[in-house]
This record gives sequence, structure tokens and C-alpha cells, in this order.
Amino acid sequence: MKSKLLLPLLALTLAGSAMAQVKPEEAIKFRQSGYGFMAWNMARIKMNVEGGNFNKEEVIKAANAIQAIANSGMGALYLPGTDKGKGWEETRAKSNIWTEQEKLGKAAMAFNKEANEMAKVAQTGDAAAVGAQLGKLGGTCKGCHDDFKAKR
Amino acid sequence: MKGKRILLWDLPTRLFHWLLVVAVVAAVVTGQLGGNLIDWHGRIGLAIAGLLAFRIVWGMLGSTYARFPQFFPTPDKIKAYLAGRWQGEGHNPLGALSVFGLLALLIIQVATGLVGNDDIAFSGPLADLVSREISNRLTGLHHLLANVLIALVVLHVAAIAFYGHIRKQKLLKPMITGWKDDAEGESAAGGGLLALIVALLVAAAVVYGASGAWLPAPPPPPPPAATPNW
Repeated sequence: MKSKLLLPLLALTLAGSAMAQVKPEEAIKFRQSGYGFMAWNMARIKMNVEGGNFNKEEVIKAANAIQAIANSGMGALYLPGTDKGKGWEETRAKSNIWTEQEKLGKAAMAFNKEANEMAKVAQTGDAAAVGAQLGKLGGTCKGCHDDFKAKR
Repeated sequence: MKGKRILLWDLPTRLFHWLLVVAVVAAVVTGQLGGNLIDWHGRIGLAIAGLLAFRIVWGMLGSTYARFPQFFPTPDKIKAYLAGRWQGEGHNPLGALSVFGLLALLIIQVATGLVGNDDIAFSGPLADLVSREISNRLTGLHHLLANVLIALVVLHVAAIAFYGHIRKQKLLKPMITGWKDDAEGESAAGGGLLALIVALLVAAAVVYGASGAWLPAPPPPPPPAATPNW
């Protein structure tokens, strides 16, 4: 009975310590990799919408990838003090990420919602609907970039 | 001292001006809203590139008051204007500063936009000509200068209101009809059909160049069947 409780607790502790072990430089790299990978998938969807030959399977793969990253809890990678530092390149995370948590949370949740919706719409194989949802999704990317990503 | 009625702004200058107004407003709105409108932002940017190219040629070949040398704001002219000693038609030296400032700013906005990217799913048509790092930097500049542009436009409109209400100079009407009443100068001359054709051709060439249509086509994507299952 006791062990049933202990095991998840242990797992949680381990997970917690595993998280803490990510070095700031790595955290920034993981962040940049995540966004970069999503950018590739955004471009993939866009190509299918604009290219004239819409490939449903390609779009589903790309939309699922974005959805997975959106729901991966990337927020954990924003370690204190990582508004400065170099991952693959100098981070463009602005310091208000750590001070305007509520606003940031709203922007992030808006993105998650549209990313989930994107994956749903991809399943329909409707090119026009995918294009429209891509615009909505891109708008939520911008929602965060505008306020929390340095312009340089 | 009753002056005569003169043709101040030729039709191409007026058309340029009002098309630019529409295009800049549309560019600012689509740029701020983002989403799928970013594609329109790109198209409008190309249109602005064409308009600017047209205006630069027209600044050399157009009619009297549209020509850059006619209203180029030298320090002497500005001093004279501020001291109330300047006389003439067309852009006054302060207005000329605003004109050249806006043109220069828009040229920078077009150039940085052409090689910029939005870090989402849009790249300017010439973005492949520079490295990603430079593209990012110039995009940052594009964002910053957008605010400067909005401020300059507000100043431009406020100045027109100031001249209208305080100085009793109606600047808006000549920019619409082309004609100015009670003027001291002569009607605009020059800028004939040949000049217009040259300006339009240059503008078309600039839009073509800016569109990146001359860049080698990217390699075609692999056929779907070739996409690995992982």
C-alpha cells in the first residue's frame, strides 16, 4: 500500500531533479530547437496549402509535430536567468517572460489551443480550412513574439 | 496681393501620393495583425517598392514642383524658412525634410522587409540572398522603424492640420485637385508622356527585381512516396 504511493512520489522527485539538471545553455538550445522545428513544420503546411498539390498526410505529420511540441511543457525550459545566454545563438527571450507570467500564460495557452485545433483540422484534409487555421496558429506565434521576443 | 491659379501637383504625383497612403496604411495594418495577412503584407511591400521607384524617377523627370532639386532642403533654405524669409510654391523646406525623411524611411522598410522573415512561416522574397542571422537583424530594424514611420506619418498629418487651421494654408486641396488658388509662382511644366513611361518602366523593373521571380527556383520537393515513414 505504501509502495503504491511512494513510487509516483519517487518518480516525481526524479523528474523534478532531472529537470533541474538541464543546464541553462542546454535549456536555451532546447527552446531554440523546439521553435526551429516548429518553424519547419509551419513552412511544410504552408507549402501544401499554397503549392497547389495538397498532401493530407504531410500536413497531418507537420500539424502533429507542432501539436506535440506545443503540449510538451516547454515553459519548463525558461529557467531563471536564461533571458541572457547563448544556445545555438544568443537567446532572444525577453526578461518580462519572468515578470509577466499571467500575460505570458495567456499567450502560450492561446498558442496551445490553436496548435491542437491545427492537428484536428489537418485530419479533415480540407486545404482551405488548413490554410485558415494556419493563419490563426501563426497569429498566436506572433502574439508571443510581439511581447516576449527581443527584436534584434 | 491676389495671385493666380496654378497647377501645382501633376496627376502622376497625386496618384503616387494617394496610392502610397493606401499602401502604407494597409502595410501597417497587415503587419500588426499578422496571421495569414502577412502574405498580403509582402505583396503590399512590393507595391510600395514600385511606388517609391516611380517617385524617385519622377523626382528627376516629373513636372516642376515634383522635382527633387526644386525643393531639396538645403540648410540655407531651412534657415530662411524659419526666419520667415522663404518664398515659393510647392514643398516648403520643412515639408521637404518630411518628404525626404518619409521616402528614405520607406526605402529602408522595403529593403529590410524584402530580406526579412517573421520567424513563423513567412520570408521576404529576397531573404535567400542573406544569411538567416542578417535576416533576423534586419527584421528587428524593420519592426523598430515601423514605429518611427507611424510617428512620422502622424507628424505629417498634424503639420497639414497646423497649416490649415493656424497658417490658413489649405495644403490638402491641391494634393487632390492639383490646383492651387492665389499662388505666386508659375504652373508646373514638364513631366510629359515619355517621362511617365520611363518612370513606369523603372517601377515595373524594380517590382520584378524585388519579387525575387528571377531567383533560381528552389528544388522541387520530393514526391510524397519518397518521404520516409519516420
